[in-house]
Amino acid sequence: MKLALKLAYKNLIRAGLKTWLNALALSFAFVLIIFYNGMIDGWNNEARQDAIAWEYGTGHLRNAAYDPMDPFTIQDGHGVLPEQYREHLTPILVWQGTLYPHGRMMPVLIKGIEPGQTTVKIPSGVLKNSTAGYPVLLGRKMAESAGLKEGDQVLLRWRDRNGTFDAVEVTVAGIFETNVPFVDGGQVWIALNTLRKMTGLTDEATFFIADENYTPTPVDGWTFVDQKMLLKPVTNLINAKKYGAAFMYLLLLAIGLLVIFDTQAFSIFRRQKEIGTHIAMGMTRGEVIRMFTVEGAMYSIFAIILGGIYGAPLFIYLAKNGISFPVSGDTMGIIIAPTIYSIYSTALIVKTFLLLVISATLVSLLATRKIAGMNPVEALKGKAL
Amino acid sequence: MNKKIIEIEDLVKRYPMGEAEFTALKRINLTFEKGEFAGFVGPSGSGKTTILNIIGSLDTPTEGRVSVEGEDVSHLSEKASARLRKEHIGFIFQSFNLLPVYTVFENVELSLLLLKQSAAARKKAVTQALEWVGLQDMARKKPPQLSGGESQRVAIARAIVKRPNIVLADEPTANLDAENAHIIMRTMQRLNEELKTTFIFATHDEKVMQYLKRKIHLLDGYVDKDEILESNTVES
Ligand SMILES: Nc1ncnc2c1ncn2[C@@H]1O[C@H](COP(=O)(O)OP(=O)(O)OP(=O)(O)O)[C@@H](O)[C@H]1O
Ligand SMILES: [Mg+2]
Repeated sequence: MKLALKLAYKNLIRAGLKTWLNALALSFAFVLIIFYNGMIDGWNNEARQDAIAWEYGTGHLRNAAYDPMDPFTIQDGHGVLPEQYREHLTPILVWQGTLYPHGRMMPVLIKGIEPGQTTVKIPSGVLKNSTAGYPVLLGRKMAESAGLKEGDQVLLRWRDRNGTFDAVEVTVAGIFETNVPFVDGGQVWIALNTLRKMTGLTDEATFFIADENYTPTPVDGWTFVDQKMLLKPVTNLINAKKYGAAFMYLLLLAIGLLVIFDTQAFSIFRRQKEIGTHIAMGMTRGEVIRMFTVEGAMYSIFAIILGGIYGAPLFIYLAKNGISFPVSGDTMGIIIAPTIYSIYSTALIVKTFLLLVISATLVSLLATRKIAGMNPVEALKGKAL
Repeated sequence: MNKKIIEIEDLVKRYPMGEAEFTALKRINLTFEKGEFAGFVGPSGSGKTTILNIIGSLDTPTEGRVSVEGEDVSHLSEKASARLRKEHIGFIFQSFNLLPVYTVFENVELSLLLLKQSAAARKKAVTQALEWVGLQDMARKKPPQLSGGESQRVAIARAIVKRPNIVLADEPTANLDAENAHIIMRTMQRLNEELKTTFIFATHDEKVMQYLKRKIHLLDGYVDKDEILESNTVES
């Protein structure tokens, strides 16, 4: 094996430019795979961070009757959590209502949050500082679709726990910017106590957001959903993007591998005499195959080196300065930060490295298989193929 | 007493030719002793290359027995025949067959790499082999920069560097002018005398024949005449 490596290395290095051109073709695939996956991983990481910071915390303790995917459960999915279980939990009360901005009717979710909370990034402090009678907070996307600015007053209507309609003029006390659409679109944030009074749901909550010091303890009528479970849809969505993109770089990889196959297959045709000579000097056909296979596989190593040379500065730049996207996630309903900082994990690099080396090895093995049936006498004459 | 290094008994080689078969070698019986400087001579198509390739275990007999260094080459596994060539047989070809991307030194060194010799041993042996053929100053050149005569001398050095018992040379002078043909024949003659290496040629070149101590005339696959040239008998 050592000999095969040595000879293959010599053959490639001595072939000069041709070797580097082949390696370059393969290096595009290498760089693109790392570039794209690094970006997705960066996006994934930021999306998860954002989702945790704005919405999930360390997990949600939900009223057992509440299902966030089913608005019909809001009516009954709330309750009073016994006092002794409330440590490290931030209560949120969810209620349905209707907003009437500029005479339009807009069904909304009213979310009650403690103004003093610091578990999630919703700037609830604004609600405390406002002098308005019914101060509310809106996400930027929500404010835009309702056509509301800070300081605007707007009619909010809801039914209390007994089904009786009620309405007040609320004041937009603040508009916040977030990448997380699930706390923005169609939502009106209001002080928890205000919402409790509006609905008559004294001391009640729909779910609680746990902070990092919370230790889950089973409570009757409440279900704890941990951070990992909550993040699953986010991760799944991003992974779907990842697999979708795999097609693109696998195509590029295929082109690179085709170049290697072609080079090696042609090389074997052209170098029949050389093969015959090696056999005459005492190599077995298996050893010759190994030498040529290692030669082909070595293209991948060269590709990695080349890709490293022009890819590394790019990767470092993208990891440090990020890459900005003109399209925001608002319109797509997914979490996209305006700037994504790529993450290049060791696992990603090692995996890509292995993918490249293994596929290049297999391809050159395929190209060299013809040697196995070669008659050394014919090979020496250059007539074996 | 001279040791029998090659024994050929009733060797037949047939090639398939469409429906029929073509018989290239027809019941050949020969023996070679260590240290011979012999050659197959005869017209084109008489079977010279075929028999040389069988002795070198690059090809197999259809019938008969060929033993080289006590090993029956007709029944060797691929591995065993490769080992036989690696350890005991050096080849010299009409078209030199040097590896163009390797230097002269590396070309000669390759046989020793296959034998897994140490770097120091390789360097010593290659330097000596290049001295034998008078190319010690060309170690760093590459084959495309060499003349035909020089290339063939590199090939001789490559064949001889591992000190094989047998060197098989198929038309080694065919691509060389008269002067270079004599130079390489004298080189091989000297190696034969100094190292007791057995040389077997295949040739129809008069210049080669005049050096041979034994001429085996092949004609249509038969041994027509086996001629020992007394004055040239090698002692061992
Ligand atoms: N693979 C093969 N298939 C069919 N016939 C073959 C094959 N190899 C050699 N022959 C035939 O066997 C005969 C002997 O061939 P060989 O190459 O041994 O001749 P040679 O004496 O070396 O001739 P030359 O002096 O031209 O090199 C020739 O008639 C040749 O056509
Ligand atoms: Mg011939």
